[in-house]
Amino acid sequence: MTAPIVVAGGSRATLRRNFWSGVWRVLRRKPSRMLGVVILIGFAFMGVAGPLLYPERLPRDDDALYAPPSWEHPFGTDFEGTDVLALVVTGSRYVLTTALVTAVITVVLGTAIGLFAGFRRGRWDSALMRITDMKLTVPALPLLLVLSTVWKFESAVEMGLVLGLLGWGGVARAVRAQTLSLRERGFVEAARGLGLPTAHIVGRELLPGMAPFIAMNMLIAVTGAVYAQVGLFFLGVLPFEADNWGVMLNLSVFGGGALTSTAALPYMMAPLLAILLLTLGIVLVVDAMDEIFNPRLREE
Amino acid sequence: MKRLAAVAALLSLAAVTACSSGNTPGKSSGGSGGGGVYTTIDGLRPGIDANAPINPFNPKGNAFRGYNSMWLAWTKNHLTDPNQFYPGIAESWEIAPDQSSITLRLQPGNKWSDGKPVTAEDVKVSIGLAYTQGGTAYALDPAAAGTASDIEVIDDKTIKITQSAENPSVTFVRGVMETIIVPAHVWGSLLPADFWDKLKTARGDGAQAEAARAEITGLAEKVISFAPAKDVSAGPFTLERVNPGEALLVKNRHFHNAANVAPDQVKLLHYAGNEQIWNYLIAGRLDNAPFTAVPAEVMKRIVRTPGNEVVKGYSPVGNALAFNQSRKPYDNVHVRRALAYLIDREQVTKVASPEGGIASVTTSGMHQKAAAEWLGDAFTTLEPYKADPAKAEEELKAAGMRKEGGKWAMPDGSPWKMTIHVPAPFSDWLAGAKSVASQLGDAGIEAEVVTTADYPLYLEELAAGKYDTGFWLVALGPAPYNIYQRLYGTPNGWQLFGGKLKHVAPGKEGNWMGGPETVEVDGEKINPGELAVKLNSAPEAEQKEIIGTLAKAANQDLPVIQMWDYVNTQFVNTSRFTGFPQAESDALRLTSGVWIQLGMIKKK
Repeated sequence: MTAPIVVAGGSRATLRRNFWSGVWRVLRRKPSRMLGVVILIGFAFMGVAGPLLYPERLPRDDDALYAPPSWEHPFGTDFEGTDVLALVVTGSRYVLTTALVTAVITVVLGTAIGLFAGFRRGRWDSALMRITDMKLTVPALPLLLVLSTVWKFESAVEMGLVLGLLGWGGVARAVRAQTLSLRERGFVEAARGLGLPTAHIVGRELLPGMAPFIAMNMLIAVTGAVYAQVGLFFLGVLPFEADNWGVMLNLSVFGGGALTSTAALPYMMAPLLAILLLTLGIVLVVDAMDEIFNPRLREE
Repeated sequence: MKRLAAVAALLSLAAVTACSSGNTPGKSSGGSGGGGVYTTIDGLRPGIDANAPINPFNPKGNAFRGYNSMWLAWTKNHLTDPNQFYPGIAESWEIAPDQSSITLRLQPGNKWSDGKPVTAEDVKVSIGLAYTQGGTAYALDPAAAGTASDIEVIDDKTIKITQSAENPSVTFVRGVMETIIVPAHVWGSLLPADFWDKLKTARGDGAQAEAARAEITGLAEKVISFAPAKDVSAGPFTLERVNPGEALLVKNRHFHNAANVAPDQVKLLHYAGNEQIWNYLIAGRLDNAPFTAVPAEVMKRIVRTPGNEVVKGYSPVGNALAFNQSRKPYDNVHVRRALAYLIDREQVTKVASPEGGIASVTTSGMHQKAAAEWLGDAFTTLEPYKADPAKAEEELKAAGMRKEGGKWAMPDGSPWKMTIHVPAPFSDWLAGAKSVASQLGDAGIEAEVVTTADYPLYLEELAAGKYDTGFWLVALGPAPYNIYQRLYGTPNGWQLFGGKLKHVAPGKEGNWMGGPETVEVDGEKINPGELAVKLNSAPEAEQKEIIGTLAKAANQDLPVIQMWDYVNTQFVNTSRFTGFPQAESDALRLTSGVWIQLGMIKKK
């Protein structure tokens, strides 16, 4: 683990400038990283502005059910004659919002609990880690299946909240382990010796050292959340929304026979490709982040 | 569970009933075939459970109807008469003209697979076991309709079953014929020595009767979990082995018609979803697949396989959008009619069930084929509710609904959002409901589809009145009594207790449809629930009249809007075997096992 950045003779603004120029350098070094950033920006744009590009009620062509790909419909049409690309774009907001909310809750809760337990140790540590262990032993999917019978998860925030509350255990355990290791280091001892407040030690000494790990976990939580919610919708246990990616997969396979005949194949491929692209973007950006936060990799 | 399971599960509801006439069964004959493995799936259950007992009373049991599990007789798929049968364990039967009793003669020379003869005593023990499970002809409640009151073994091969005179019903004959027959020398020990005395007591009144009833129903679990060490079958096959992938049955040499049973073996393949069946069919592995819903493109792919053919027949089931009339604005008949005029049923069927259904001609409460048969020309006089936005607008205005900014709102100006409920696993219902919602959206009615995780939960919530509207199976025939129970029975408030009919308030005791107790038909007030119950015992001529009135009531009052009528779409492969039932055959709703035991199937 690297030592935290020591402020010596430079203002915070300079540091920030240096950081961003470092980021830019790291991104430029490999075109794939730039591609990752472009993909993520593309998805962010799709989530924010995508639904605005289409009318509230997507048009249907009654005579073109499961139409093959064409210029008009790059991914064909669905069982009702609606453009599949339009469904993927309009459905992205729910998927991405859920993923973001899940990631934020996972990381904030996991980091806070891990840091607190690791730094305070003793009874707090024991209590929090037992709770974490208990949480880790609860199988998420069966619990979600049961929950879905009583809770309809109508908004993306509700879905994200549940996935986030089910997903923080691993992050908490890992952050605690790192905290236990870092708190014994000389620079933390020195900070303590200088009488710096706990908030400073945690916020300025410990947290920056774990920032890369936390940031990467956040991105990985995004992919986990996408898989989880699409999986639940695919299983048909969550409310029906024709433009939900998981619902699209479900209907293409079970209603359209996408795994048996080619007619519904584009209908299935479109949401799959979207998930694949999003995952690829995240993986490429995580690769860049690894180097940004790890000076040893940068030197190489 | 996918579409197949949806329909299979629901077809099984196509309960027992009857109306007229006896039967003069003829024993099938045919040239002797021989050899070969006949491969199919069991459409009556989703998949095979290798650990389940060889027990026909167990829902997962490895006893397969028509193969190693037998009924007294096999119900023909008749448009109007549910009392026509093919012989099973019984070779022939005589039904008393008033259906007060049925005398069955068993197949002469029929033996169990262990060599012991099949006797009337086996039938009696099987009836005793049926009482532990309850059932149409074997209810312990003496006031229940169409139950057996006396079972008399006349000789080794003849048994007479008498119907209780307290509340006779046309359901009795079919209830008896669909009795599962098991060997007394294997199953007899499950019944206590004083069982028949207890049964007599149970069919009386008072505390003693209550105790006896509790004791008999207490045996149910013991019967369901009973696991014979080996299969002793009176059917054309016995179970040889079962693993998670398939069940293998071999020919029962002691079966009375063994000479005409063509295959030496039958393989029933496991499946977890329709996609697996499609793949089996595309690979040409199945000699027959019972009703399986298929998308149009998959259908094309299946029929390209050499030998594969599609056989279509009558399926007495329809799908409808049902209303909860205790919720506004669905209590208003003009709103229901407006919705009927707005929904293009052809389009809904094209989207939802292009191969397994035909758009309903109108709403009559019956499948269009049965309706045409029962009603004749009167069927064409019913309002067809063809898509007509102008008429819909008139109806909505008549209901006091308001159109603001291109969207319809409630009479007080509050927003109207229609929720259409469907169980999530039924992809055809889901697609159909989405198509309805889209069409209503085009007309300015905000509508959304809401799914429920599984079918049992869906039925529970539906019965509890939690939904405004939802998809619902109707026309469950062939008996008219059963058909109209779907519209004017318990779900709509009419309950039959001890032969007495009562109407309960909407939202109570399973009355989720919440329709009025009386409706006006041709200027006359009728009680549809009362008429529907009369179908249970009325002679055929009167039934016809009642059906005419109920069809009009359903058509005018629209407790539901019929969407599509199912078509029994089956697949056969003629590469290895021939003689399969033709389109519209009355054997199409029976399993391949029945076709084989009747000697219809021949080795190619």
